[in-house]
Amino acid sequence: MTPILSLVPTDHFLIMALYALLVSSFFAILWRDDRRERWKLFAILVAALVGGGLAVAWLMYPFPK
Amino acid sequence: MTAPAPAATAAVPGRSPYLAMILAWLIPGLGHYYLGLRRRAAAFAVIVVVTFVLGLSFQGRLYSIEQGQPLTILATFAVCGTGLLNIAARLFSENPGGTILSATYEYGCAYLLTAGLMNLLLVLDAWDIATGRKR
Repeated sequence: MTPILSLVPTDHFLIMALYALLVSSFFAILWRDDRRERWKLFAILVAALVGGGLAVAWLMYPFPK
Repeated sequence: MTAPAPAATAAVPGRSPYLAMILAWLIPGLGHYYLGLRRRAAAFAVIVVVTFVLGLSFQGRLYSIEQGQPLTILATFAVCGTGLLNIAARLFSENPGGTILSATYEYGCAYLLTAGLMNLLLVLDAWDIATGRKR
């Protein structure tokens, strides 16, 4: 494995959180012009994506297969 | 009662909406850079490129159209949204088909598809800004 590839996370939660950060920052910049409004939308989107992911994971816990 | 029409903004003078769209598709953020929105262009470029590169690192798949698999048409369209990144990755990547047995394969596919769809949104955004529909 190359040194760069060894830095790539394999933890599922970390990959999901990273995805949430990237998507949230993209839409915050795309949809809002004001800096304060951008941060607000960014926080809402991150919370919704990570919180939603955890909620779905928790609901699926009794059904492993 | 009808909703008030959104306030029209001026089109960007001396800038072609068609060229803005083509540049936005070719390289993420380039359409916004062409329209004079340099900081926004840099932010979009970083986000889309990082998402795409992570998708490749997670051994995701650069979709191609397959017979009998109609969803691969949509997936190919989405991945092709990244323009030159997609072409370069197909040419130079050691494993454009991804590694289906990898634990991160599904994540990689999601990252690659998202990068393409985000860049397609940037293409439409560049059009809206160039024609004065958005600031």
